[in-house]
Amino acid sequence: MSAFLEVRDLTVTFRVGSALKARLQGEPPPDLTAVDGISFTAERGDSIGIVGESGCGKSTLAKAITGLVPVASGSLHLDGEPLLAKRARATMRRVQMVFQDPSSSLNPSLTIEKMLSELLRVHRIVPVDKVADRCGELMELVELPRNLLKVRPGRLSGGQRQRVGIARALALEPDVLIADEAVAALDVSVQAPVLNLLNSLRENLGLTLMFISHDLAVVRYVSDRVIVMYLGKAVEDRSTSELFDDPRHPYTRALMAAAPKFGVKKAPGESALKGEPPSALKLPSGCRFSPRCPIAAEVCQQREPDLTGPSPIQRAACHFAWEARGVPS
Amino acid sequence: MNEHLLEVADLKITLPAGGATITPVDGVSLSLGRGEALGIAGESGSGKTLTLKSIIGLLPPGAFVEGDLRFALGDQAPIPYAATDVHGRGISIIFQEPMTALNPTMRVGDLIAEGPRIHEGLGKGAARERAVELMRRVGIPAPERRARMWPHQLSGGLRQRVMIATALSTRPKLLLCDEPTTALDVSIQDQILGLLQEIRTTLGMSIIFVSHDLAVLGELCERLAIMYAGQVVETGPTEAVFSSPNHPYTEALMTSVPSFDATSDKLAGIEGHPPDPRSFPPGCRFAPRCRYAQDDCAEAQFRLVPTSAERSTGCIHTEVFAGRER
Repeated sequence: MSAFLEVRDLTVTFRVGSALKARLQGEPPPDLTAVDGISFTAERGDSIGIVGESGCGKSTLAKAITGLVPVASGSLHLDGEPLLAKRARATMRRVQMVFQDPSSSLNPSLTIEKMLSELLRVHRIVPVDKVADRCGELMELVELPRNLLKVRPGRLSGGQRQRVGIARALALEPDVLIADEAVAALDVSVQAPVLNLLNSLRENLGLTLMFISHDLAVVRYVSDRVIVMYLGKAVEDRSTSELFDDPRHPYTRALMAAAPKFGVKKAPGESALKGEPPSALKLPSGCRFSPRCPIAAEVCQQREPDLTGPSPIQRAACHFAWEARGVPS
Repeated sequence: MNEHLLEVADLKITLPAGGATITPVDGVSLSLGRGEALGIAGESGSGKTLTLKSIIGLLPPGAFVEGDLRFALGDQAPIPYAATDVHGRGISIIFQEPMTALNPTMRVGDLIAEGPRIHEGLGKGAARERAVELMRRVGIPAPERRARMWPHQLSGGLRQRVMIATALSTRPKLLLCDEPTTALDVSIQDQILGLLQEIRTTLGMSIIFVSHDLAVLGELCERLAIMYAGQVVETGPTEAVFSSPNHPYTEALMTSVPSFDATSDKLAGIEGHPPDPRSFPPGCRFAPRCRYAQDDCAEAQFRLVPTSAERSTGCIHTEVFAGRER
């Protein structure tokens, strides 16, 4: 039996600059590969975190799975059914996304009720006479008072808006919920309730949750499994507990070292990771992390490592990931 | 030499807001020693950025400032000052968003050289040399080439380094940092914090660092001031505040973000959201969201009370949550 969500060799490219100019100069078309051959599978109810720095392709991956950007190659399957960029309404419904900035992703001129009921009507989720009831239920689901249905987003606080964003995604009764930096724009004190809400929704509704963030600590809190991305590639794919106890990819280790920790004073001039990621248009040869990698060897410049390991959720793309220290049992 | 560099007493900032006035900073007192790094923590709307901007006189038009601000330009005790006394001569500021804070129509080298040219009367060539030297100082690779670039040609991390170079160009004694790493990736944030720590120790500069992220403040600052709804609710040495917060808001801030090192079962978070400055609650402003709140919290007059030589708190019921298991 195939997996519930299956992503195979997913590649997304964007045309940057003039294709004509490139052709006249006899160069290949100026394509930027934002997501470069990502493969993973997830079961119903899984919670997968995707982490990486800006520009690593994590949001593009999310958009490709949701159907918001066209896929260059590779395949996506949900429950055995292909997810194409152009989807039938019934398929579209099954993967929904919550966006980072709740103030710019909600239509400011619609009341919350209009926003939700429009979705319910267009997708015929419930009979027309039940739409109003369903709106109320959705508000309860995201722990908002029903009377807020009558207001517009401008009147809501950041945390409330993000809950509306979640309600809007849940209105279509999706199987997969993708949260793209869903708490990054929120104040510290209101992040926790939104994270707790996502956790409880996943448990109660049996959602498959993909949580995308640059913040390892947040991902650790909501995800059972983490995929670390660097320049369009998955460099490590592990269960959360294993990843944090024993990171195998040097990039993961550097990210963890760079995260600020309570009560640890910074030494002058100290930093975990030197330099900046290279441009995705001019990738280094071999392993793309090798120019910044503290353990890079000759083989790293020659050959790009595969994402491999003892099991599908024990994978790392480093020539030395499973060496010396042995394969975890 | 007097040990104090900056003293802020009873700072109150009033802003016009649609016919009415609001007081987003309401009675803030701070002091900063020479070479010291002070962290101001708080959420958006807590007044931390306005407090910072009032120190360097960058408040929006219409803002009305009350209170006493003193700064030591020389070795003497701090004296009252005007913003023009410290611009280019003692206090510099770096901002959160390095793209919008750098003039897009000036080459990076000219941006950095502008301060020394205006304030020290340096000639074009000498100022350009100073710029390149500063760019090297803040760790920008190939500074001669980059000095001729425009801000948009640089990455976020490099732009933030340019901003730091600009701030350092006039050799300030105090560097104000307004969330300079919030817009950056963790690895770049890590580099910038390391750079600031290095600059600070070698130049003996003081820093006031504003952020919503307590862990970031902890990496750099010896002392913390926690702000909520326009007031400082707790001050103290960083380690002491982290190990035993004296105000429920500080504790809540620490427990509402997932910690990197610990796997917590469920995040506590804080009920509700920060109050609107048009209608701050009476008494303790945190009381409506505080899980230790008592009946008299809403009545008591707010006061920051010293609890030891180095610490103070605005909570009148520290006994309720002190000494309890965490």
